[in-house]
Amino acid sequence: MLMPRKVKHRKQHRGRMSGIAKGGTKINFGDYGIQALEPGWITARQIEAARIAMTRHVKRGGKVWINIFPDKPVTQKPAETRMGSGKGNPEHWVAVVKPGRVMFELAGVNEELARAAMERAIQKLPIKAKFIIRSDEVVV
Amino acid sequence: MPSEVVLTAESPRPTGSAAARRLRRAGKIPGVLYGHDTDPVALAVEGRDLRHALSGDAGLNALINLDVKGTKHLAMARYLQRDPVRGTVSHVDFLIVRRDEVISAEVPVHLVGEAEDVHRNDGLVEQQLFTLTVQAKPADIPHSIEVDVSRLTIGHTIRVADLALPAGATTDVDAEEPVVAGMASRLAAEVEAADEAAAEAVAEAVPEGEEAAAPAEGEAPAEAASEGGGSSESGGE
Repeated sequence: MLMPRKVKHRKQHRGRMSGIAKGGTKINFGDYGIQALEPGWITARQIEAARIAMTRHVKRGGKVWINIFPDKPVTQKPAETRMGSGKGNPEHWVAVVKPGRVMFELAGVNEELARAAMERAIQKLPIKAKFIIRSDEVVV
Repeated sequence: MPSEVVLTAESPRPTGSAAARRLRRAGKIPGVLYGHDTDPVALAVEGRDLRHALSGDAGLNALINLDVKGTKHLAMARYLQRDPVRGTVSHVDFLIVRRDEVISAEVPVHLVGEAEDVHRNDGLVEQQLFTLTVQAKPADIPHSIEVDVSRLTIGHTIRVADLALPAGATTDVDAEEPVVAGMASRLAAEVEAADEAAAEAVAEAVPEGEEAAAPAEGEAPAEAASEGGGSSESGGE
């Protein structure tokens, strides 16, 4: 699963997810993409599950790009622990996603197959997302 | 070559984010006109007219005769700001151009033909350059640049130097920059590797299963159950 090799600080604040994505809102590499419609935290497991769902459905002749990286540590306190005594331990890694962000891209397959594969991948994500096509971006 | 369309702009327009929002609600798109040492002019155009103007063959490189308070300017839509989720245009920059000056424009690169050799070998035609920056006079800017991929093979790359630009158009992009490449599909390689690994695992499991099947099988389901559904997704590959 995706995670940073080395970090400067082991624990982070949760932060806010207001507003829309500043960058990464266009398809840059492939022909099709999955665009976030809601803000949210995407865990490394969810990214991996979505990738596997796509690659298994496409089978042969495609290429997948993952445009998000889970670089934010999420901590959890152990079960049945009293409050206090400091922040919990880092448990997993998430990518912070805002509306408009293109999270995955796909190329090398026809639209029908790409749509089916990406719909499966969207099912693995905790936020609303939509399938987009590169040619959509030319329309004014 | 770009066709000319006429567009009427409303100027002056009220400035500020609230006023711009009101304009957008009324179906207009706020914009600005600048270039050739003129002071920038804030204006607004009808969204439907702009869509019509930029929906021709030339796309975003269409030459526009912009009518601002009775004065006509030859201009091009240089930059469109869009809402990242809805895709609607929220602001447009118009650049004043002259017919005799060389300007820079982004021209889409289209692939034509079927790369049969690549497809026959389960390969992938990977386009790496989707637009090419071209220098030309406004009338000489091509609508698109077509790249024939019918002779593309796996491992072969078509570069910028191989592109046939129309007369009057040049490019500053590095001639060695790849435009499209025939590649062995990574997914195909992954699938083959996974198939081989699965076949090997089955082959190894049969002789071992006779000797030490009971303890090994007793541990595996317990681990899988404790890890839950999420890990089973990633454990597959």
